[in-house]
Formats: sequence, structure tokens, C-alpha cells
Amino acid sequence: MSARKRTLLKVIILGDSGVGKTSLMNQYVNKKFSNQYKATIGADFLTKEVQVEDRLVTMQIWDTAGQERFQSLGVAFYRGADCCVLVYDVNVMKSFDNLDNWREEFLIQASPSDPENFPFVVLGNKVDVDGGNSRVVSEKKAKAWCAAKGGIPYFETSAKEDFNVDAAFQCIAKNALKNETEEEIYLPDTIDVNASRVPKASGCEC
Amino acid sequence: MDNTTVHESHSDIEDLFDEEEGERPCYLSDEEHAESVTGAPAVSSSEMEADNVAKLSNLDISDNTQEESQVHEGGSSHEISETTPGHQGEEGGRSNDPKGLELGDGDGSAIATSSTTDVGPESTDSGVLVTDVVDGDTLSEDGIQESPGSPSSSREGTSGYLAGSGSSAASVCSASGVDESADRILNQESTRPTRRSWVPGKRHPDEDDTSLAWRKHKKHFFILSNAGKPIYSRYGDEHKLAGFSATLQAIMSFVENSGDTIRFVKAGDHQIVFLVKGPLYLVAISATEEPDEVIRCQLELLHAQLILILTKGVEKCFVKNSKFDMRPLLGGTDMVFSHLIHGFSWNPATFLRAYTCLPLPYAIRQAAGAALQDMPNTGPLFSLLMCGSKVISLMSPRKSSISPNDILLLSNYVASSDSFRTTESFFPVCLPGYNPTAFLYAYVQYLDSDTCLFLLTADPDGFFQLKECRGRIGTILRQTNVLAEVANAVRRGGLRVEHLLETKASHPVLDPKTSSIFGSDGDHELHGSAGVPREGTIGIGGPAGLWHFIYRSSFLDQYVASEFSSPLHTTSAQKRLYRAYQKLYTSMHGAGAAGPHKMQYRRDERHVLLSWRTSDFELYAAFDPLADKSSAVAVCNRVCQWLRDLESEIFLLGATPFSWCN
Repeated sequence: MSARKRTLLKVIILGDSGVGKTSLMNQYVNKKFSNQYKATIGADFLTKEVQVEDRLVTMQIWDTAGQERFQSLGVAFYRGADCCVLVYDVNVMKSFDNLDNWREEFLIQASPSDPENFPFVVLGNKVDVDGGNSRVVSEKKAKAWCAAKGGIPYFETSAKEDFNVDAAFQCIAKNALKNETEEEIYLPDTIDVNASRVPKASGCEC
Repeated sequence: MDNTTVHESHSDIEDLFDEEEGERPCYLSDEEHAESVTGAPAVSSSEMEADNVAKLSNLDISDNTQEESQVHEGGSSHEISETTPGHQGEEGGRSNDPKGLELGDGDGSAIATSSTTDVGPESTDSGVLVTDVVDGDTLSEDGIQESPGSPSSSREGTSGYLAGSGSSAASVCSASGVDESADRILNQESTRPTRRSWVPGKRHPDEDDTSLAWRKHKKHFFILSNAGKPIYSRYGDEHKLAGFSATLQAIMSFVENSGDTIRFVKAGDHQIVFLVKGPLYLVAISATEEPDEVIRCQLELLHAQLILILTKGVEKCFVKNSKFDMRPLLGGTDMVFSHLIHGFSWNPATFLRAYTCLPLPYAIRQAAGAALQDMPNTGPLFSLLMCGSKVISLMSPRKSSISPNDILLLSNYVASSDSFRTTESFFPVCLPGYNPTAFLYAYVQYLDSDTCLFLLTADPDGFFQLKECRGRIGTILRQTNVLAEVANAVRRGGLRVEHLLETKASHPVLDPKTSSIFGSDGDHELHGSAGVPREGTIGIGGPAGLWHFIYRSSFLDQYVASEFSSPLHTTSAQKRLYRAYQKLYTSMHGAGAAGPHKMQYRRDERHVLLSWRTSDFELYAAFDPLADKSSAVAVCNRVCQWLRDLESEIFLLGATPFSWCN
């Protein structure tokens, strides 16, 4: 009734373990940050309502575990995603290198109808660490990678300092909405009683 | 503790399933008992088939006291329930719920906590058919209220979901309060069946899985897509429950990934029942102790209701686009589902797979049928005249068949909205039992405050034709006095167990020709004035302590239930009996080791239940707990005889050959 024009977006957050996926989500949804590291097991789910232009959007955020042993959960988790957020740690080269794998894996598992244009967003997290002195992945390098993958939007963030987090998620919501397929008018068949006897329903209900 | 973790849930689910194998389902003890009945040499099904009047008293029914084996495992329930309360952010509340209760660790696992405390008392009470009794403060629709002062079994620790739940009474919304006071008024003012008044609209729309009140509801229903997008939730706002919905999907999809399907999880006094229907997931979380088979049937009906609104074609949308959000398509239909769910706790049609008729003089029902039948060849596929949830007459000029569940779902759809009451309507509708893939078109109009006419056609442009048909039918029904008789019948109510006594006393030799619930002299007020114990009179029930019965005719796919008589005058007593019938029905139809049962006789502290199943009919009867077995059996025979005598008035006979289930 009243909920007619509300949109629900399924957002998956992927990246190596320890890059700060859960922290980003917690900062965004709960405005909280903890220095303590607690590994996500399997997946964690949060919702957040946001306004994007004139639309009310509920983001259903799937915070996944980074450890490889959880990757078997793939298909189940990725199905029907509206946007995929790839996160790496600007201080850990390996986490950046792995973005390729995460993206590939997602496209294979989720098999979106239009992989070329599926909305990804890349976040380079932990830019606050050591005043940026321990950084090993430059912004330039990251942006080049994003450009090569079809112009993925890129944000440098700090979950700890709440730097750029809102902006990043706002962009995530916007891109997911942009990619929303125009819904066709729902027109199911009508029974043609004259054509043939209607097939009997197989078995009875319940 | 707070994290919802699929990894953990997996192992827990396995644990539980392992235990399941070792344990026997709740109703299994019935079977053990029933074996002694079915095993008796006198029970020959052919004998019964040959002669419906087969005397129950011939059978050697051992008088075992019913024992319920409760399958509750403390340890594992605790673990599994970590997955059920949905999920909390690591640090507690959420920013999208400004009023959200900040739950500490202890509260976050509220369900888990109670599940470990309630293992004891109920299972140790042998001889007690455990039914749902809740604290006075959990006024959910599914809860059964103990009236103050009535003998109540041990409550402490088994009451709500939360230990010390008394403090949260204030958070329970007013809707249920309304329900309850409405009941009281009903109880006081009439001896008519008390049915919980259904308040339209979304229940507790402001709640989500972080609300204590939300967690305390006794029975949740969810529909979601296999991508985890919420479609319907009985309580709370679907969007706010998106995280919870995702949790459910994660659990279901995870099991699905291993080529398996999750069926149910038991967690303390909660049961989570899952149903996968193509790209749609249906889940019920209940603390009502209904057998999981019963709940799964309810999920099937919920799915069929969705198909009735959208057809199965909606599945194609998910094939094309797994992101598909179905909620907009279902806009405004919340109440259709809520109304159906409400029916799960009072309407026997939801588990009997049969419909019931308004008792009417034979000639009047014939006249109604004739009016519906008198249609042009190109007219409606089905014409259905109903009064509330009861059928007056049903015709299918083209000999198509409509299933009892289709009637249930169609009338539920119309009954759930007041919009239909004031105007004529023409809308697309799918009858899942008839053809789940395509729409028919329904013309619906109320002819008076209770009587509703349904005309179904396959022609999308059939409005004017059906409008014309309605005009003609309406005229005939008025001319033949059908509508007035229907109003009389509504006033009179249905069969009363007291009349069985009366009939016996006043007509020692029953003459089928004169036996009629309407009296042979056409005095339609007979039962209103003289026969029925009026308000203020304490009902004595029927002979031998008969309180209530349901009789289902297998050939007609129709059932008839007696009106509730004292002492079944409270809604809670009625609901308790209703649940007991559900359980009984399930165990009569279960494919256990003993096979479907022929007969059961169960005694507990609340009632004696007797069920009898032949190839022609099923009878479920409730007696006073102190009822004598052999007289109860004798009375059941009399009930069957009585109903056969009244057959032409309580059933719709000789309609189209119905052949949907075989």
C-alpha cells in the first residue's frame, strides 16, 4: 500500500579478510568503530534506509567473510545482488591484487544478466593508518585498475575516521539504482477454455 | 553471540537433524496407541465401507491415556536459536531504527535463553495433551488465553519467549487487545460461534527484528525471494526486516547448495518450518506446537494464495532477473495473507481440504442451484454463492471442477477487503487448483450483507455479460425467497450437539423424512426459541458429554462442524480444540509405520477426542474429559446417523462431479 515506491537493494561487500569490510558497514550503518578485530563468520546482514534523489531506498547489506574457506557460500549469497562492493586495504598489496579474483568470482557465481555493466564500486580502506606512510597502493594505481575494468567508481575511505564512508555508500546506492532494469508490465496468460481441456493440476495442494 | 553466522547454523542444523532421527515426532505416540485400535480383529475396513452404520462399539478400543512425547532438546536448541533471532549489529542497535531497543548480549539471544529454560515441565506431564497457553501478557492472535481462574497447567518458565516477560506487556500493541475485548463482548451477548474478529491492516508495522514485541509474537510468516529480498512478513515492516530476510535466505540457500532442502528446525519451543517453491521461499516461525506438517500445509496455502493473486507466471520474472523485487506487484495485498493466516486458527477448511455449506432447507438450496445454473452457454465457468465462508451453492455449467482450496482462497481474497462489500468488482484471479499458470476473471458482488456471488469467466471482456447474469441470478434468488432463507439460516446458526439429545428424547424412532434441523412443520424459529440454550443458560453439551464434532464427507469434499457449545464458549477453549483437531487430523493422515489410521481415542485433561475414518467420511469429536468411552462411541454412531438424516440440508448434493484430488 504505502510501500509501493520503496526500493530494496541487495549489496554484497567482498574483499580479503581484514581489509575492514565489517568496519565500513558498521561505520556506515551504526556510526560505530571498534579497533578490535573480529572475523566475520559466513556472512552478516544489515539494513539501512537512505534517500537517493527522490527515492526511498532500503539497502540490504551482505557483509561476507573474507576467508577463503567461506567461499563455498558463493552462489547462495550472490544471487540477485544489485551492487557489489570490492574492498581492499591500501596498506596491503596482496589485498589489492586479489580484487581481480573477487570480481571474477562474483561474476561467475552471481552470473548477472549483463556482466559488462554490472555495478561495482571499489573502496581503498584504511587510508588513515600511520598517517598514510605505510601505504603501498597508490591512488593512481587503484584508479587505473578501476578504469581498466570499465570505469568502476573508486573511493578512498577510512572506517575508523569515518572518512568518505557515506559518500561511498551513496554512490553504491545510486549506481545500483541506475542499473535497475526497467520492469516490464506484468501480464500473465489467460486461460483459453475453448482450446483444450484444462490440464488437471498435478496432485492436490499440500 | 550476536553475529548471525551461517557457518555455525549449518553445523547446528546438522546436529538437530541427527537428533531428529533418534527422536520420534510429537504425534508418534498416537500411532502406538492407534495400533492397538487398528490391530483389533473387528476392524475391517471393508465392513465399514459396506455399512456406514458400522457400530464403533464393536471395536475394542483400549483406553490408554494419551501421552505426548515432546521433542525438545535443550543444548542444541540453544545453539540453533542463535540463528533465529535474526541478527544484531556487533554493537547492538541500528541507526535506521531510532526507537530500536538497544539489546545487550543477553537480550539479543532472547529466544535462545528461553529455549533452554523450558525443556522440563511440559514433557514431564504425561497424560496431558500439551496445548498452547501463554501468559496473559502475550496477546498475540495465535496465543490461547487462559481465562483467569481457570485451571491452568504449569506456566512458569514456559510462558513467553522471554523469561520475565511480564515487564514487556506494555509493548504489546493494541490490535490484539482489541481482538480480545471483542471476544469478550461476543461471548457475553450470544451463544453464536465466537470467532475472533479480524482487524484489517498490517500488524505492528513499526516493529522489526530488534523489537522485543516482534520477537514475542507466537507465529511469524515470511515470504521472500531466493535472493533474500523480503516479499511478505506477517508482523513488522518488510523493508526493516531485510536483514532478517537475508538471514533466512542464507540458511535456506546454503542447504540448497548442497543439493538438499531444509524442512524444519526445532529450537526450544520454537519451530521454524521452511518451504521452497521455485524462486520463492516461505518460512514460518512458530511457538504454537502445531505439528510441522500442519504448518507446512499452511505455507502451501500461503503460496497458493500468492499464486491466486499473480499466477505461477511470476516465477518467470525471477528467471529473467534474479534481482526481481516482487513487493510492488503485491501492493495492497498484505491483508489477504493476514486474513488467511488468521483463518489458520479457526477455519477447519484450512486443514481439512474441504468446504462447508450453510445449512439450508433442501428446496432452498435447489432453488439457489437452479438460479446459478440458468446461464447462457458462453457464460461463467463457475458460479458460486457464498455466505461468509460457507457455500450456499456452486455450479459449473461447463462441468469444470473447482477445488475446496480454491474456494477457500477465493473467498479469503474477497473477505479480506471491505472494498468488495460496497461495489461490484471484476478482477483477474488465478485458481491454483484449476490452473496455476493463468488468470481467470472474477465478477464479485455482495447481494446482501452476508451473501456474496462469484462468477468466474475466462473472458477478460466478460464484465457486462456477467453483470447481466448477476442481475438475473439476483432476481431469481429474491423471487424464490433464497436470500431471506439464507438470512434466517445465518440467524439460526449451524448444528448443535444439544439437538442430538433433543432428537433422541423427542423422537425415539427417527424418521428420516421428518427429521430436519428446520423442523417438519416449517417452524424456522424452533431452535432459536426453544431448542437452543439461550444466553445465560449453561450449555450442557450433547449426550455422553459430547461437546463438538467435525464430520468430513470424502465423496463430497465437504465438512460440517457443530456450533461451539458451552463449555467451549471461550475463544481460547475453541482454539485449543481446533489445534487438537489439527494434530489429530495430521496423525490420522500421517504416513507413519502404522499407516493412516482408522480410529483414535485419546483422553487428556481437557477433552476426550475421538476420530474415526472410513472411506466415506471422517469424524472428529470432542467430549468431556470424563466421558465414558463406550457411550462416547455410541454417540459418535448417532452423530453419523443424524448427519446422514440431515444430509440434504447440510451438504450440497448432486452438484458437478468433483474430481480434483484423484
